[in-house]
Parts: sequence; C-alpha cells; structure tokens
Amino acid sequence: MSTNIEVIKRALHREKEARKQAEKILEDKSRALYLLSEELKDANEKLAQGLTEKTSELKGVFDNLIDAYVLMDLSGNIIKFNTSATELFGYDIQKEQLNVMSLIYKEDMKYAMTSFGQLVHEGSFADYNARVYTKNKGVRWVHINASIIFDAQKTPIGAQGIVKDITEQRTIEAENKTLLATLEKSNLELEEYAHVVSHDLKSPLRSINALVNWIKEDYAPAFDEAGLKHISMIESTLEKMERLINGILSYSSAGNGAYLEEHPIDLNTIISDIKNILLVPSHIHITIIKTLPTITGDATKIQQLFQNLISNAVHYIDKEIGLIEVDYEEQDTLYIFSIKDNGIGIAKEYHDKIFKIFQSLGDYKNSTGIGLSIVKKIVDLYGGEIWLDSEPTIGTTFHFSLQKQYNHNAT
Amino acid sequence: MKGIVFTEFLELVEDKFGLDVLDKIIEESALASGGIYTAVGTYEFSEMLSLLTHLSAHTKISIDDLLLVYAEHFFSVLADSYPGLIDKYDDPIELLSSIENHIHIEVRKIYPDAELPTFEILEKTDSHLVMIYKSSRAMYNFGLGLMNKTFEHYNCNASILLEKIKADGTEVKFSITKT
Repeated sequence: MSTNIEVIKRALHREKEARKQAEKILEDKSRALYLLSEELKDANEKLAQGLTEKTSELKGVFDNLIDAYVLMDLSGNIIKFNTSATELFGYDIQKEQLNVMSLIYKEDMKYAMTSFGQLVHEGSFADYNARVYTKNKGVRWVHINASIIFDAQKTPIGAQGIVKDITEQRTIEAENKTLLATLEKSNLELEEYAHVVSHDLKSPLRSINALVNWIKEDYAPAFDEAGLKHISMIESTLEKMERLINGILSYSSAGNGAYLEEHPIDLNTIISDIKNILLVPSHIHITIIKTLPTITGDATKIQQLFQNLISNAVHYIDKEIGLIEVDYEEQDTLYIFSIKDNGIGIAKEYHDKIFKIFQSLGDYKNSTGIGLSIVKKIVDLYGGEIWLDSEPTIGTTFHFSLQKQYNHNAT
Repeated sequence: MKGIVFTEFLELVEDKFGLDVLDKIIEESALASGGIYTAVGTYEFSEMLSLLTHLSAHTKISIDDLLLVYAEHFFSVLADSYPGLIDKYDDPIELLSSIENHIHIEVRKIYPDAELPTFEILEKTDSHLVMIYKSSRAMYNFGLGLMNKTFEHYNCNASILLEKIKADGTEVKFSITKT
C-alpha cells in the first residue's frame, strides 16, 4: 500500500512546523538565559565590589586595632597576628611557627584549658584574665575575649581573640589599693591624733581658766577698768578656745563609722530633746511640718546632725519672729530632710565653703566654724548628700538625704 | 506533558503502524497543536489521551497495552538520554525505590513545572518492593512498562502485581518481587 501524497505532505508540514516551534522555544530560552547571565554578572560585580570594600575595611580594623588580634586554627596554631600582637608577643609568625599553648603561663594552664573548652562548646568566652609568656617582655597579664570562626557550612574552622595587655593596669590597680589602704590608715591616725591633742589641750586650758579666776577674785581691787576688761577678754577668749577644742573633738569622732550603733530613732523625740538642750529663745518657733519617721542609725550622731543644723538656724535668725520648719520626704532608698529658717541667709558664693572646717560666716560669738563640717561628715556616714537653698536676708533651707539601709563598711 | 513523550510516541506509532495510521489518528484527534510537537515544548495531556484513544480504536489494542508497549520503548529513550541517572544504581529495586526521592528531584531541577506521579513506598527488602502509584493521569501501565524494562536492563526477572486502589486507576498498588 503506497502512502497518499497528501499524508506525506501533512507529515512534512508537521515536521517543518515542529522545527520552527523548537527553534522559537530554544531562541526564547537562550534569550532568557542571556538576560539571566547578564543579571548574574551584574550581581557578581556588585558582590565582588562589596567584598573588596569589606576586605579593605576589615584590613583597616585589623591593622589599626590598638589591642592585639590573634587568629588561630582549632589546634591552637597561630595563623595571623596584627601589628599589636606581633609587638606584644614578640614573635614573627611569618618566620616561625607558634602554638598558643606555648604562650600560656604554667600556673594558668588549667584555667586556660577550661576557657578553651568553653570556647569550643559555647562558641566564645569573655573576660579571660591570665598571664602569658612573651619573647621580649617577659610574663604579661592579658585580658582576652575570643570566639570561634565558622565557614559557610557552620563548621568551626578556627578561633580569633582580642588580647589586651593589662599588666600596667593591674599594677596601677594594685598600687591604688595600697594607696587607699595607706590613706585610710593615715586618716584614722590623724583623727586619733586630733582627738588626743584636743583632749590634752583641754587640761592646761582649764588650769589657765582657774588661774585667771583666782587672779580676778584675789586681785580684783588692784585692777583698774582697763585691766578688768582685759581679764574679761581673756575669759571669753578661753571660752572660745574651749568651744574650738570641743568642736575638734566632736569633728574627729564624727567621721568615725567604726563605732556606729544601729538603733531605731524616733526623730520627733530627737527634735523635742534638741529644743530643750538648745534653750531656744521664745521668739523662735520650731515646727515639725509632718510627723517625722523613725529611722535606724546612731542616736548620738543623728541628734548631733539635727542639733547642729537647728542651732545654726537659731543663731542666725535676725527677725522679730523666728520660724524654723523641719520637714522630710520619703523615697525608695532614702529620706530627704529639710530644715528651713527665716534667718540672715547665705550668699551663693559661700554655699560650698560653709561645709569646710573652720569656715564661719560673720563674727557670731559662739561660732567655731566646725558645726557644718560635722554635719557633712555625718551625712557622708549615711551615704547621703547635703545642699542648700538660700536667699540673703530672707532665709535658708538646708536639705540632706540619708540612706535607709547603708553599709558603713563599704565606704 | 513534556514534548518528548509526544514525539517519541508519534515516532513509535509510525514505526509500528505506518505513516498512514499516524496521519489518521492525528487527523481524527483534531488536536489544538495540530499534531505539531517538539521535544523541547510542553503540551496538553488531553492530546495524548486523544491520540491513544484513536490509536486504540484503530488497532483494537487496549489503551493499557498500548501504554505498556510505549513505556518499554520510552525506557530506552531515557536510558540513552540520561545514562548517568541509571548507572548510579546497581540494582533495579534500588532504582525503583529512588524514583520519588532522587529521580523526580533531578527532573524538577530541569523542568520545574513538570507534573509528576508520586510513588509511596510501603515495603522494601532487597528483593521485594511495594509502592503506591498516584497520578491524575492514571498512566500506571506506562509505569509498569518502565519497570519491566528496568529489570531487563539489569538482566533480572521480576513479577509485578498491579492492584487498583481506585477504580479509575489514579491510585494503584505495585507489588514487585525479584525472581
């Protein structure tokens, strides 16, 4: 059976069309591929550029890092040192092989191994402080932060560390510690000395006082008016001297936190005691704005604190009716107290000066210039601060804070 | 459906039944493509169904048997085109059990839009394999033909038992035992 010519024609037509179709499909595909490869080329160029930038940035960081940078493989063989690392350890790793184990100070080996274990298991460690051997600088103290480096498959391939030479820092810290201890000791000695000296000064002072009294009693008729006036001036100078000595005595014991007692103190009772002690003139009124809290502390010191401030207020009131107001506010960890008066006020330039010892404003006869420095010392003892608002001729308000819980040993 | 399935099919029909029969079934099928196929194109599966139906009507051979014969021919096309894929396996059971997890994955890399049947493995030993074939095309006999040739390729014999889970043949259980 011979095949119809039409059938062959149709078959041929199909073949031709199929060929054209295939050519078109392939052309489309190759165009798509070309465009894709152009895109890839573009992306690749950007990546390469980004990589160059990053590499250059990293190299800059690596070179300019003040601390030593160390790169090692997982067996501890050093692969890279930056300039600081080469300088610190003294080895040129281009010329000689170096393993990190040979750098670790013998006694710190166990600690180093524990830290290395942490590095491997957790991927990093921080604040490793130990000693290392260096080629030219002997044993140095270093601080190291390190982390594992992973490849794209998250497989650990090495570790990097930033090494800081803390030898000098440690020496300075140690020196500071010694210095502080010495300072504390000499401070204590000074206070004791002040105490002893002022105590010893008191007895000749009393003798002089007695002698002056005897002279006055026995020889009064022999003196003329000027003589009597001089005697009286000697007496008041002696009184002033005694107050000064007493002041130094209390100042030297005020700063001593070692013998502080810890008792509940009702401050309302303290204030009413002070009113009795101070012999407040009748034109001065001391008011407690709201009932004061009961705090924990050393009753003598706390009373001295309030007493000095209130007594100051009393002394410096120049108005016909004197007003002294005691108030407080409570915060989370501390109380802030205030003592307000309508006295002569304190000019701004004296606000810091008044807390220093022997600084007295004006020539008030009972002022030794010690009261406020004692106040400052006691506030310091309780981790507080003291400051004031004042307007000359209008009045002054002293504010001070006291910590509710204060660890005196920490100072 | 990938064009190569059509071009190989038409070639086989022409070889076995002559150009007249091929022309006849193409004309009868009234195909959207006009029977113009290229291996690199993609065409509607319904055209294959139509061609098979008309060939079956003309030759009085069932569609299942036609598919079986075609599959046996198609295996050699695959073996020639992708020798690396078949050489990877030393054993026909290994090859068949890897269709889903290896071969089809490779196919998808080249033809992301390919619509492939699934083969779920129920049992597998060195000489025994039970799989569930699932495909909306219901070309399980095409699968059977490929499997027969696979065993032949490795110079092995096997008994392959077909069990329709769904009557329309879209889900079929293959129980294969190497003999």
